[in-house]
Amino acid sequence: MKFVTTATLADPVVEPNDAERFGADRDGVGEDRPAPAVADGAPRPASRPLYRAAMFVAPAVGLVVFFTMWEIYVRVTDVRRLVLAAPSSTLRHLVDEPGFYWRNAQITMKEAAVGFAVALLAALLVATLMAHLRFVERATMPVIIVLQSTPVAVLAPVFLIWFGFSSWPKILVAAIFAFIPFVFNAFTGLRAVDPDTYELMQSVSATRWEIFWKLRLPYSLPYLFSAARICVGLSLVGAVIGEMYGGSTGGLGNAARIAQTRVLVDQLWGSIFVLALIGVAGNLVLAAIEARVLRWHSSQSRRRRR
Amino acid sequence: MLTVGSPSSKPADRAGPTGAPIAVRAVSKWFGEPDAQFQALAELDIDVEPGEFASVIGPSGCGKSTLLRIVGGLLAHDAGAVTVAGTTPTQARATKELSFTPQAPALMPWRTVRRNVTLLRELNTRRAAHRPLSETEAIELLEAVGLGGHLDRYPRELSAGMRQRVALVRGFVLGAPILLMDEPFSALDEITRDEMRYLLLDLWQHSGPTVLFVTHSIPEAVILSDRVFVMARSPGRVVHVETVTLDRPRTVAMEDDPQFHQHLRNVRAALRQGSGR
Repeated sequence: MKFVTTATLADPVVEPNDAERFGADRDGVGEDRPAPAVADGAPRPASRPLYRAAMFVAPAVGLVVFFTMWEIYVRVTDVRRLVLAAPSSTLRHLVDEPGFYWRNAQITMKEAAVGFAVALLAALLVATLMAHLRFVERATMPVIIVLQSTPVAVLAPVFLIWFGFSSWPKILVAAIFAFIPFVFNAFTGLRAVDPDTYELMQSVSATRWEIFWKLRLPYSLPYLFSAARICVGLSLVGAVIGEMYGGSTGGLGNAARIAQTRVLVDQLWGSIFVLALIGVAGNLVLAAIEARVLRWHSSQSRRRRR
Repeated sequence: MLTVGSPSSKPADRAGPTGAPIAVRAVSKWFGEPDAQFQALAELDIDVEPGEFASVIGPSGCGKSTLLRIVGGLLAHDAGAVTVAGTTPTQARATKELSFTPQAPALMPWRTVRRNVTLLRELNTRRAAHRPLSETEAIELLEAVGLGGHLDRYPRELSAGMRQRVALVRGFVLGAPILLMDEPFSALDEITRDEMRYLLLDLWQHSGPTVLFVTHSIPEAVILSDRVFVMARSPGRVVHVETVTLDRPRTVAMEDDPQFHQHLRNVRAALRQGSGR
């Protein structure tokens, strides 16, 4: 990921690449003209309302088609409910028992959210030390690679031994899942500062803290957000695995495990649906925050490259 | 044209004990491993007078950027003496006597135009020896270079020339008595470059700092400068000092002046001689 500017007259927008780094887009083309890429809701040559409406509903169409085909498949093939439940029956079940799912969803969301936060803070701390001290970088890398290569789900029973039937085993599994992408991206981001801007700050003897706070951290934000997108899902996976293997009396992972052992088809699929919903909601919230925080970043340009 | 504030002190007061704001004496610099060194600078001498606009011109690899970094305290020299604002470059950097404008605009993509030009003001505030421009004064400078309508835009929304103008203004907002500029216009096209020269002169004449300007454009060096230091490479050294006799303020019309062309010829001849042709 690079900070790419699009100050050219080219339309459509140039493919963001390393051009800026090598000065290729500093040729002054489009001089004195704000780059077209930023014009809000830039009107395309022919602004076709129908086309725009179609683009707007496209995501909904995809979802509707997906669930309709699932529903049709179940009804036409008459597959056993135990094997595959129809979306409609799962939905009916969810509407019938909102309290049960809300209670368990809260538990799982809390574990995932705390795990996510713990992972983010730990990763920032570790990545900051790694970015500043070469020795720490060299010493920490192997540990991270060991963690990354281990299927950390197997740690759930260990955490259960350590912390008992509290929520901490689940939080820790969620945190470990999310830690790896966070720490890698934070480290890359903190190191990805523009050398010219770094030299500029040095030229007035900026302190290390100023360089960290005003240069390194902002430069790492796009990296952190792209890690966060992955980690929303991963921390949820971690929390559910923690609930399934870390001993649990609540949460959607627990609900799914019980449903499996007692052959409660509705509850199994209900838990899956709610988990999917939480994941989607988490990603939407994150995307909203990202759009707000990274307004300056080229990834937030309204016009998408094709 | 520019009506902002006034220089924090008269040029003569700024020189410090040794007189010249920038004094480079027999400075040498080597690069590379101990067994395979090459000399980037060889016993180089340069003096820049208070309030003077001095340019350094030379072929690429002649060490002109190295020289600028040594003066700016960003690079250590191996032999000789460098005095900046009456002290060492490192000390001058620590008290913000120097304002450095790098080759790339080096704007922070998450800061708007307004907040990019005030960046240097915010850093290392405790030891600053000079009062930086206020935000109002900074905005007046931005308006003077035609960016008044773009104060709250982000760098990615600007053209290359506009970004470079932001970088120029940022150099002046620090309020430092000495400005170091490392080929700030080298990435711009010729037409934009022409305009930038006069914008820079406007900004400079307004507050009158001492400038050391590195470039590889002969007309640029001549039209901007009081003196042009011509360098040759292998090793980097000064082969000629051209004193430009054109009046101030400089205007576009002067580019047709025979005197201007004579200066161009002199610098070109010195460059040619320096490269042994």
